[in-house]
Amino acid sequence: MNRLVIKNLKKKFNNTWALEGLNLQLNQGEIFVLLGPNGAGKTTTLKLIAGLLRPTEGEIVIEGTNLNDDPIKAKSYLGYVPDEPFIYNKLTGREFINFVAGIYNVSKQNYETRLTELMETFDIGTWVDELSESYSHGMKQRVIMCQLLLHNPNLVLIDEPLVGLDPKTSKTVRELFVRLKEEGKTLFISTHTLSFAREVATKIGIINRGELKFIGDIEELSRISGKKDIEDIYLKLSADNGIV
Amino acid sequence: MNDFLLILRVRARMFFASIRSLSAIRAVSFVFVIACFVLGAYYIFIRVFGYLMSVEVIGPGLLDRLIEMALFVFFIMLLFSNVITSFSTFYNSRELDFLFSLPVPPTSIYLAKLFENCLYASWATLTIAFPLIIAYGVRIGAPILYYPLSIASIVIYLFIPAAVASMLIAILLRIFPKLGAREVIMISIAFILGLTYLYIKINNPGLLKIFETENEQTLLLFAAQLTTVGGVYVPSTWLSNILRGFSDGSADWTFSFLLLSFVSLSTVLISFLIAKACYVRSWLSTGEHASKRSRRKSLLFHPQRQVARTILFKDLLVFVREPTQWVQLSIFLILLAVYVFSLRKTPIYFVFPLWRTIVAFANFAYISFVLATLGVRFMFPTMSLERAGIWFIGSAPISFKKVLLVKYFFNLVTAVVIIEVLLLSANLFIRVGRGLYFLLPIIGLFVAASLVSINLGLGSRFPHFHEDNPSRIAAGSGGIITALISIAYVGISIVILATPAYNYLSHTFMRMPVNYLLVYSGFAFFVLFNIFTIIVPLRIGIKSLERRDY
Ligand SMILES: Nc1ncnc2c1ncn2[C@@H]1O[C@H](COP(=O)(O)OP(=O)(O)OP(=O)(O)O)[C@@H](O)[C@H]1O
Ligand SMILES: [Mg+2]
Repeated sequence: MNRLVIKNLKKKFNNTWALEGLNLQLNQGEIFVLLGPNGAGKTTTLKLIAGLLRPTEGEIVIEGTNLNDDPIKAKSYLGYVPDEPFIYNKLTGREFINFVAGIYNVSKQNYETRLTELMETFDIGTWVDELSESYSHGMKQRVIMCQLLLHNPNLVLIDEPLVGLDPKTSKTVRELFVRLKEEGKTLFISTHTLSFAREVATKIGIINRGELKFIGDIEELSRISGKKDIEDIYLKLSADNGIV
Repeated sequence: MNDFLLILRVRARMFFASIRSLSAIRAVSFVFVIACFVLGAYYIFIRVFGYLMSVEVIGPGLLDRLIEMALFVFFIMLLFSNVITSFSTFYNSRELDFLFSLPVPPTSIYLAKLFENCLYASWATLTIAFPLIIAYGVRIGAPILYYPLSIASIVIYLFIPAAVASMLIAILLRIFPKLGAREVIMISIAFILGLTYLYIKINNPGLLKIFETENEQTLLLFAAQLTTVGGVYVPSTWLSNILRGFSDGSADWTFSFLLLSFVSLSTVLISFLIAKACYVRSWLSTGEHASKRSRRKSLLFHPQRQVARTILFKDLLVFVREPTQWVQLSIFLILLAVYVFSLRKTPIYFVFPLWRTIVAFANFAYISFVLATLGVRFMFPTMSLERAGIWFIGSAPISFKKVLLVKYFFNLVTAVVIIEVLLLSANLFIRVGRGLYFLLPIIGLFVAASLVSINLGLGSRFPHFHEDNPSRIAAGSGGIITALISIAYVGISIVILATPAYNYLSHTFMRMPVNYLLVYSGFAFFVLFNIFTIIVPLRIGIKSLERRDY
């Protein structure tokens, strides 16, 4: 069974199409990286899968469950990290994590130990017990990642994970993604950082103006475009009259 | 000056853009609901004023005094609402970071914010003040000049509380730069309450004494007292003098108008000078202290066994840690408690059982109206306040239905406690008969359930996910519609209950036969109506949450 199946997914805002007919299949142990210029439709795609937007047309099936038919079950397999890390201002980081754990019904067993481990991984210090209104962008993002791994979803959706992270955390995060892949999780990541795509992706998609211009692995990518460097490939494919 | 106009123009553009983005139906219904409200208020004022003017001896004097009192109450309310919104408008809004980075003088930012704050804090009072002033003008047969002049006066008048509130907060922050929002608002409100108390103590308004006696001699004395002018130093007195100047010439409106304009202009000028001296520094220091860090013990423990409890606990924590929320709620509750206790001193006029019963009904209606307004301020914004976490709730395996229902029960319990405590203690003080003593609280349960449903349901239908100030969420177009629908709900409920209530009264006090069919069908209709108002708004809210793009 495919972990994620997207069939002819379309989204229209008012009068503009943000996404025009996306088809995609992801299996376990894959890292899919979606590249594209600003306004290409990356965030729209991720939010559609996360159930935060309602598709104009098309289907999203997660672990065999159609998101439209049984949203609660489908959503129980996924975890989403938004591009803007919002947390309730008046909760501390720890309280937010506990809140999430409560909603996902995370098992009580070893809860505290696992939490401590995760906090170490992300270098979360004593500030986790301060109100999150005083956090920086990167601090909030680390809390959100920590929360995500605690309920440990099979399908992880992350929008621009590297924005706002310092080099050290960024490295931790990249290593973590690879580890998750090896554990059999599926990751769907949108980014502008090309080197990141080259480093971790098992599959790359390039999207522009709501259309998927290309999908495949790095080798295929350079074969089709006739360029070696990922930056050249990206610039060529995301140009307005790029190949389809 | 030009910068100031520019900022205002941008604001106005944003406002019109937000209006244009409303759908035609919503815009029309919005205007319609507002118009109904204003016209309804106008109708009530016309009737009440007409009645008062026909009462011999004390009527006209009482009317003038009533207007003066109303304007005084408006003044205090405006001070309150300006203080409450000032802190966030002047020191704590996201837009300020941007504005202060622009090459414009801070005084321009201050003036633009003063206008904005004045508008935000005053619209609610205006929807009552306009019909009141116009109804008064119609009743006294005022010349045409009265209308533009009185409306101009009230606009001028609005700037006094706005400037005073901003001054108060600016001075407080200048002297104690480390104060947080909660402290500043509480100190300001305590200050205003203290002044109000002093004013009432010194001025001793005669209106409060009205029902203390039946003696004709004292009544005449009282009437004579009514015609004397109240506190000369309060802006509301000048405003009422302007209005009265047109009725019998007993006051000189030109002098009062000049005085009002002069004081309004001076207050704005003084607040401007104060802002010039300390706005930037205070703004900077609140920025520093806002992020004052302190470690807290996590109050939200995991594992909470139930999802519902987790949500409930989160909401409670967020509410308790938001000072503007519970400070305002406490003020409302204290004022209500004062009102209920004042019922203990039942005036002599009301000793007859018939009067007591009528007072009990009136009290019930009043408490329901208060709950309706409380609901819009505190319950309507509930779903919008999920703002920061809506991405999480939307993508988590939990339905919006469940989230909303948890909030519904939590708010319902609070509303029921408030309405029942008020009703039971008020009924005790009024000393109503046993039947009503238990009947009114039962009806109160329905009222609470419906009002909470209307506010939460419509709050989810018209959410503001981009605003984190609850008073502003409540002051948006959705909030206004909800306020008016809540008030209409209370009005309709009272109309439905009036028939069985009248029958009950005539049976108990005039020995008329009871028409059981009428009484029972009246109650049955009330229950049916409430089933509708409990279920439908919640359903609308849930459907809208499920269909929305986040
Ligand atoms: N709520 C919305 N209403 C209207 N249009 C929207 C909305 N959200 C996105 N769009 C439009 O959809 C298109 C795709 O936006 P999206 O946010 O998916 O881009 P993106 O690829 O994530 O860009 P970025 O790299 O800047 O994050 C844009 O043209 C944007 O203007
Ligand atoms: Mg994006």
